Amino acid sequence: MIKDILSGGVVLAVAGFYYLGTRQILHSSLEDAVGADGLPLILSAVLAGLGVLLILRSLLTLRGKPAGKIPVVDGEQRASLPRALGLLAIAAGYALIAPVIGYMPAIALLIIAVAIYEGIRPSWALAITAVGGAVGFWLFFVWLLGVEQPRSIFF
Amino acid sequence: MGQFTQALTMLVTTPLVPVAILGLIWGIIGGALPGISASITMALILPLTYTMEPVNAIVLLAAVYIGAEYGGSIPAILIRTPGTNSAAATVIDGYEMKRQGRAGEALGISLWSGAIGSLFGLALLVLLTAPLANVALAFTPMSYFALGILGLSIIASLSGGSLLKGMIAATLGVMVATVGTDPISGLGRFTFGLPELLAGIKPILIMVGLFAVSELMRQSGSKGLDSTIPELVRIKLPNLQMMRKISKAQGIGCVVGTFEGLMPGGGGSIAAFISYNEAKRWSRYRHEFGHGSPEGIAAPEASNNTVASTSLIPLLSFGIPGSNSAAVLLGGLLIHGLVPGPRLFEKNVDVVLGLYTGSFVATLAQLLVGVLILPLCIWLVNRPRPYLAAFILALILSGSYTINGSVIDLGIVLFTGFVGYLMILTKFPFLPAILGVVMGPIVESNYRRSLLLSGGDHSIFFDDAIAVGLLIASVVFLVISVVREVREARQEAKAA
Repeated sequence: MIKDILSGGVVLAVAGFYYLGTRQILHSSLEDAVGADGLPLILSAVLAGLGVLLILRSLLTLRGKPAGKIPVVDGEQRASLPRALGLLAIAAGYALIAPVIGYMPAIALLIIAVAIYEGIRPSWALAITAVGGAVGFWLFFVWLLGVEQPRSIFF
Repeated sequence: MGQFTQALTMLVTTPLVPVAILGLIWGIIGGALPGISASITMALILPLTYTMEPVNAIVLLAAVYIGAEYGGSIPAILIRTPGTNSAAATVIDGYEMKRQGRAGEALGISLWSGAIGSLFGLALLVLLTAPLANVALAFTPMSYFALGILGLSIIASLSGGSLLKGMIAATLGVMVATVGTDPISGLGRFTFGLPELLAGIKPILIMVGLFAVSELMRQSGSKGLDSTIPELVRIKLPNLQMMRKISKAQGIGCVVGTFEGLMPGGGGSIAAFISYNEAKRWSRYRHEFGHGSPEGIAAPEASNNTVASTSLIPLLSFGIPGSNSAAVLLGGLLIHGLVPGPRLFEKNVDVVLGLYTGSFVATLAQLLVGVLILPLCIWLVNRPRPYLAAFILALILSGSYTINGSVIDLGIVLFTGFVGYLMILTKFPFLPAILGVVMGPIVESNYRRSLLLSGGDHSIFFDDAIAVGLLIASVVFLVISVVREVREARQEAKAA
């Protein structure tokens, strides 16, 4: 229930930001009766309304429960959030360094970083797996499928 | 007859067969990895279809779907861990058979029943889709707008348990769809000065983020499997006597799978459990259920494979995906500019024929590929989870980059993954959000096109009989969902 109240708050904030974005949409003399900002305005109002409903529903449910029985965010979820964010940070790191050092080295580093982060000890086997994996990915995407991957700014 | 000849010609003149087999292999492997559902397996390969011929891309995705439904039963039978949600019912008797030393037999029954279910579903797909799509020929922009609203309201109310959360997810999805150039006036919306966003956010990026990245984040730090699969398992396909014994259960699975596949929000896991229960109810060997019953494997496996085909009927006819996997397939169609509905059957008949033929090839090939690929699946499932996570993340990032060759896309995928992770924690469903992203432009453009026709008069929606019917159905659906939720909340309060 607490999670739902927090979610409702986040939904309201998103609706607010989206509404502010809607105000930035320009108008054209060629536009129709609804306009480019017509649907976005409706959507921001609908989302805000749904957010309020979610909060109200959670508060009503909470009111009917004895204080000791109010469920809170459980410890396991609280502990897993930083771990999940860590993994996301590694992926974001790849997105930042791949256009600098190039695809293959970046993929090798990504495999090493994720494997270590998830509990594998650094070793030669890990390094060989990462390099082999990077070569495999390059062969598959660039050589076989002929699709673009980030290129190094150095070479 | 002409179409049959065309389908046969496709088999020899296009790479349909190898593509279907590759998709099948990928699907079986993905489905066999615990935690990687059929939709995630499809989402992982979705970016690769970007550069492919439309027919091959759609066949690949459909074959992945078919393969993943079987793949999920491998760890379900061997280590009591379903690879996909829809294989959960297979655990009950599959693992019991494995404990009795009949693992190969259980896998064979699963494979055979899956093939029967797929063939049955495929036959229905071929028979029903085109006539249903012809109904859509009578649709005006007003009807399409109303259909979009109906689709969103059904999915929002059925897919997550909470109507309110489903509606919030659907609204967020439509909001994402408004990013980019306005389809009528050509003005930019929510682009934050980034030219990369002028073309909008591709649904494929949202699917990969929501399904694949969020799942990796959820699994981060988990230990993985406690037990490993024994390497020496050989599949034993059922003999004639066994085929006869499980045929009734397979029939029940096919019937249940048909209804669940046609119903938006149904899905393979619900179908599998319902058909398990029904097979038990109608079986002469009821006492065997729960103690290693072959019928207990046949019914759920036939049903979830039937769903894999029948869930494509509402998708191809009206553009409404009833499940996460069908939504990914819709993403595959849209990538190639293919819009489901009657025009797909007129203008892109090769794609439809290719889909039918490729699915047929994949279903038949499943019996051979399933046997041959088992050692590879077992080897992969036994790999340490950190390595699997690393390689899957590398695949996600490489695949996402291929779509536009843009780092911005990687940012969108990762941000969507973060949002998806928060949605998992707070129990918001994914499917309404995906549907919102996909159907948002359809709803908006038809809404505005209707008002252009009427000169801004909203009464035009009430002049169109189909639109009125669909809008009434939407309201009825929402009211029923609200009543159901209120009743459940009251029952919960009483129980507390």
